[in-house]
Amino acid sequence: MRAERRERRWLYLPPLVFLLLVALAPAARLLLESGARFSVLSDAYLRWRLLWSLGQAALTCVLGTLIGVPVAWVLARTAFPGRALVLRVLMLPFVMPTLVAGIGVLAVFGPHGLFGADLQDTPWLLLYGNLFYNLPLIIRGAHDGFAALPASRLAAARTLGATRLGAFWRVEWPAMLPALGASLCLVFLFCFSGFGLALLLGGVRYATVEVEIYSLVAYELNLADASALALMALTLSGVCVLIYAWFERRLAHPAPVDPLPPAPPRHWQERVALALALGALFFFGGLPLAAVAWRAASAGAAWRVLFEPDTLAALGNTARFSAMTLVLATVLGVMHAMAGRARVWMRAAAFLPYVISPVCMAFGLLLLYPGLSASLGLLIAAYTLLAYPFVAKGIGSALDRMPPTMVQAARTLGASPPRVLWRVTLPLLRPALRRGMAFAAASAVGEFAVTLFLSRPEWTTLTTLIYRHLGRPGAANLDQALVLASLLMGFALLAFLLIEWPSHARRESGG
Amino acid sequence: MKSFLSAIAFVLAAGIAHGDELRVLAHSSFDLPKPLLADFERQAGVKLVIVKAGDAGEMLNKLILTRAHPIADVVFGIDNSLIAKALDAGVIDPYVQKAGARPSHVGLPGGVASVDYGYVTLNYDKAWFAKNHLPLPRTLDDLTRPAYKNLLVVENPATSSPGLAFLLSTISALGEDRAFALWARLRANGVKVSKGWDEAYYTDFSRNGGSRPIVLSYATSPAAEVFYSKEKLTESPTANLPLPGAVFRQVEGVALVKGGGERQAAGKFIDFMRSDAVQKALQTTMWMYPAVDATPVDPALRFAAIPAAHQTPDENTIHRKAAAWVARWTQVVLR
Repeated sequence: MRAERRERRWLYLPPLVFLLLVALAPAARLLLESGARFSVLSDAYLRWRLLWSLGQAALTCVLGTLIGVPVAWVLARTAFPGRALVLRVLMLPFVMPTLVAGIGVLAVFGPHGLFGADLQDTPWLLLYGNLFYNLPLIIRGAHDGFAALPASRLAAARTLGATRLGAFWRVEWPAMLPALGASLCLVFLFCFSGFGLALLLGGVRYATVEVEIYSLVAYELNLADASALALMALTLSGVCVLIYAWFERRLAHPAPVDPLPPAPPRHWQERVALALALGALFFFGGLPLAAVAWRAASAGAAWRVLFEPDTLAALGNTARFSAMTLVLATVLGVMHAMAGRARVWMRAAAFLPYVISPVCMAFGLLLLYPGLSASLGLLIAAYTLLAYPFVAKGIGSALDRMPPTMVQAARTLGASPPRVLWRVTLPLLRPALRRGMAFAAASAVGEFAVTLFLSRPEWTTLTTLIYRHLGRPGAANLDQALVLASLLMGFALLAFLLIEWPSHARRESGG
Repeated sequence: MKSFLSAIAFVLAAGIAHGDELRVLAHSSFDLPKPLLADFERQAGVKLVIVKAGDAGEMLNKLILTRAHPIADVVFGIDNSLIAKALDAGVIDPYVQKAGARPSHVGLPGGVASVDYGYVTLNYDKAWFAKNHLPLPRTLDDLTRPAYKNLLVVENPATSSPGLAFLLSTISALGEDRAFALWARLRANGVKVSKGWDEAYYTDFSRNGGSRPIVLSYATSPAAEVFYSKEKLTESPTANLPLPGAVFRQVEGVALVKGGGERQAAGKFIDFMRSDAVQKALQTTMWMYPAVDATPVDPALRFAAIPAAHQTPDENTIHRKAAAWVARWTQVVLR
């Protein structure tokens, strides 16, 4: 047992050093540059910005749960043709650059929109935009939880006379909660510390506190006020994460591994439920993407952009950077999850990359490592930082569910710890690992890392290329950007399929 | 703690040698044809490392923040709205151009060589105005009348360079108090504020899925609309609306970074940016006018009329007042 503990301690080291060097130290360095002037917090306008950021993040979580959980339940319990594909396609909103997503949303609900109803500048469109981005995480999280529910437990509840609804509340909901919680925590952090689609769709009135921090740091170089705001934001999101981590550790309970396979719909109610779930999925996630793809498909000459050397180079970079990010994020994320099960702070630390203000981190990195500022190493480190919470969280939740008996049995039978890890633990974690990796890849393909850090033309990715086209006037530029966005969707879908190859997933967890 | 962190940074930085590389810091709109840059590399015998650091204002602040360990040898994109700040912060070394260098009618102080210039101004959607039979506004005041309610989108001066330029031109034309009174009335008349140019142009402008037919952009944008059109156009779908108080002349330059290396190659790069080839190319890659006199104007720019007048405060006033003006603007327009 002591050997195992020593091994755990070794596991702590790489993720903690990484987090220290790439997230904590840069933020601390920025803080040290000028201190924090807390008087800025007495500004009612900035307090309102903080409140709005909190409010919209919380509201997105609530609405996301109300819509996402029923959809996830139906997807987890119902077998239908193309199910594996749907589970992968639904993650696509996640990779869309914000500006393209905004264009897609407006193509449906804007002044010249599909439905003729102009929702631009109304709160409805902002909420819709937030759900577009965040439902994928919530649905995949809840689906993950529902799919891993032991069949025997549900069967026992039903045998003991529980109604279907009763069994849901008493058995399925609690079993799913930890997985949903992890997703909600990430969604909350994204909404709270991102610039947000709300800003894009609704204008500066709906800016989050992160936009204020960005303006203070990037345009006014007012680091003292920015640091105070960033510390305040960090405290708020940090408290939320700690509460979540504590809650999660309490909820964590091992369960037997006999996942309930999805069954084909048996009667009309189940068919209606399936149709409603798929309809909701298409309404919230599919419509804007379909609008982008549709406009790209009718773009005609703009398709020539696909054969330009710049596009090929960008595609190559996207593939290369995603692959490197994926390897690093997976190794670090797995170590983090395995090392951090027992401690609340270690669980919470997995979210660190999204708790610290991205603007402060980006400028802190520049200040701390000026010699590395335009190096590929730092770029990949930044990508990895933003990708690895997905792996760490996915694995963490799966480890919580894993019954200790299997590892104990293997150890008793004489297997060495590395052998147990390789032959028992990792195979059991594979579905969660793949899901985490798919989201990690999505975050690497997406735009999180590209906007704030220094970039070099030779590192242009598809996302940067899209933004380059949208940085200039002209219908051809818009068309080419939409064609490139379709290429990005295709690439991401291919990556999702390769990472979570459907036949494996079906066998392992019904995914 | 600070010295500990610096020590880490130093150790990490020491591992990286720069060799014969010329590091050029530029804003995100920097764009020149690759063969042109390759030619320069051959002639100067250095490898160019172009580093893009976001919008011009953001770029300058990154330069100021790292002045102890400069992240570049040359910087392109410091303009007249930023130059006084740059000189004050001491991040620029003056560059003396060779005797006989070709003259410019637009210049920048402090040994920064001017490369190009352009105008931030309002653009309008011709088709929208034709369809709605609304006459064009003739003054900024017109935009505060009910007929023009909810028709204008501008960029936030706190997060966008063109947004700041527009604010500066209104103040230059009207004086501080009248300018902010105008802004208050614009707010009452439904002006929309976007974070940056991309958002304003591609989600709010009526030509691109938005509802607002007047957008804050550049005087060359109508020409770019023709250049990047889907089918061959004989006139631009958009046009400039250079109302008095809504035209800011921007002069961009290239400069030596204080503490940077590769001095000789850096000087060559500055001359290169003012060479014929670059002066011609930048007109349709960065959509600016050439700063060097007697450079032939690209035919593509005939769709973009140069505004007859502009309202641009001097560099030092901008440096002294910009932060306070942006704060007051936020107070008047957003709070």
